Amino acid sequence: MPNFNDFLITLKDDLLSFAEENLSEYKDEILKDGTNFLDKTKSDVERWTEGLATGSLSPADFEFLLKGKKDLAEMEALKQVGLSQVRLDKLTNGIIDIIAGSAIKTFL
Amino acid sequence: MKIKTKTQSALLALSLVILFWSCSTISVFSPEAYKQAVDLKVESLELISFATTPYSDYKEDVEDLKTELNKAYEFSKGRPKNEISTKQGEILINPDGNLLGGFLKRWKEEENLSQMFVTEMQVLVGDAFDTIIGLESGKIDPSEIK
Repeated sequence: MPNFNDFLITLKDDLLSFAEENLSEYKDEILKDGTNFLDKTKSDVERWTEGLATGSLSPADFEFLLKGKKDLAEMEALKQVGLSQVRLDKLTNGIIDIIAGSAIKTFL
Repeated sequence: MKIKTKTQSALLALSLVILFWSCSTISVFSPEAYKQAVDLKVESLELISFATTPYSDYKEDVEDLKTELNKAYEFSKGRPKNEISTKQGEILINPDGNLLGGFLKRWKEEENLSQMFVTEMQVLVGDAFDTIIGLESGKIDPSEIK
């Protein structure tokens, strides 16, 4: 007859493997998104500076684009915050599944 | 005894679903919000491409687009736990900002805009819509919640 300690041991093992699988995947995604945004910003600003120098962009256009990039950065940051919350919800969901699975494995 | 075990399992499953819903921090995926964002992206980018020509020729189209953008914003605002997506929409359509709302205001004020500025704004506004679409598509589909 399994007892509560058996349940805790099973649960701990299941949770550890779940965390290892998920956390490294999330870390890689966040780093990739952040690096892509910075690379794109650098090339955009270089192109706009050239446009300003050749007269294709007015100083007002240039300023508007730079401020637009700032607004976009804020929207991108909000996306990342939102996706982190989604990950948190998925982790919660996964943990609840694991607790249920461990309980069923141990007691039923 | 078997009946008791089945009842216990059902209660456990039900409790877990309730627990998940009470713990969720952000709205689930909405196919309607996703479609709205994709459609508005296509319509906005098309309209922006005409901004090298006089605003007065597109005045009605701009007003129609603004109405659609406001409808999408109100839809977003009314969804529970959807503050982050709503804030994204607010930044995008703010007439005093520097994305779609600000662009349309500037087009109206200046009557027409330079080619390079219009092309670059298309990229920025497209990327801005992609942040909204990316967040919505990343949300949990309600069918994934057991």
